Amino acid sequence: MAVRTIEVRERVMARNDEMAAQVRARLARYGVTAINLVSSPGAGKTTLLERTLGALGEELDIAVITGDVQTQNDADRLAVHTPRLVSAVVTGGACHLDALQVMTAIDAIELERTRLLFIENVGNLVCPANWDLGEKEMIVLFAVTEGEDKPLKYPKMFENARRVVMTKTDLLPHVPFDMDRAVANALSVNPALDVLRVSALTGQGLGEWFDFLRDSARPVSTSG
Amino acid sequence: MSLAMEIGRIAEEKLGDAAPQLVTVAVDVGDSAGVEPSSLEFCLEAVFATPPFAGAKPHILRCSGDVLRVAYLEIDDGRPDD
Repeated sequence: MAVRTIEVRERVMARNDEMAAQVRARLARYGVTAINLVSSPGAGKTTLLERTLGALGEELDIAVITGDVQTQNDADRLAVHTPRLVSAVVTGGACHLDALQVMTAIDAIELERTRLLFIENVGNLVCPANWDLGEKEMIVLFAVTEGEDKPLKYPKMFENARRVVMTKTDLLPHVPFDMDRAVANALSVNPALDVLRVSALTGQGLGEWFDFLRDSARPVSTSG
Repeated sequence: MSLAMEIGRIAEEKLGDAAPQLVTVAVDVGDSAGVEPSSLEFCLEAVFATPPFAGAKPHILRCSGDVLRVAYLEIDDGRPDD
């Protein structure tokens, strides 16, 4: 057989990164702060968003995009807490969201009425770390029901994040979880991480989370 | 797996109807790319065993830095050797 070689030399993430830049520019035009929430499955992303929408949804003009491999269950749960459209992306098997999906999803969002956009990524600590979605920052949720060594096992996710939110802290008396060791592991991977501790169930720590979100969202425009 | 699927998309885009003729996909993987070469190779084998491909083999080229790119594709164009 005759084998022919085709030179390619194309970065694997090139197309996604280009689309992410377009998402970022579009959100910047409207002054929307986008936060990409990532975690293992079951770490509490949807529950934290339910509490957040209930408390700040109107105050911060929050919109949400949810990503799931199958079903729009998360979007349905969140829709109960906001009159705004919760945009559901069903990835149909893919283990992460990509920037093109986010660009398509924000077409359905009234950006001029939005100050804060949450992107609830697919529950997965591996693949989403590679895919820039055009967000301002990525936040990792890390539940006390997981192993303290998660940051060491999945370092890229923690390296790329600016903040880690320790969730389900109400369960600490019932699980053999060493909070200090878990935080030390996260900081060993990324010393610049800010760490919050919350229980969406009891409300413990949510005040600090809400303050962070208020600081992150652009001020309400007073012109026109 | 998502990276392997994206590499499959790039190969399909480059080859079009010739995708079944692909025999080798070479990928540069930097030692700081945050990618485990053996895992990527395993996933690539799965992707390229699925149509429109017909069993192309991945070839991982280790290099320095954080590069992760498709280096080249080899296709069997069906013509006899010279």
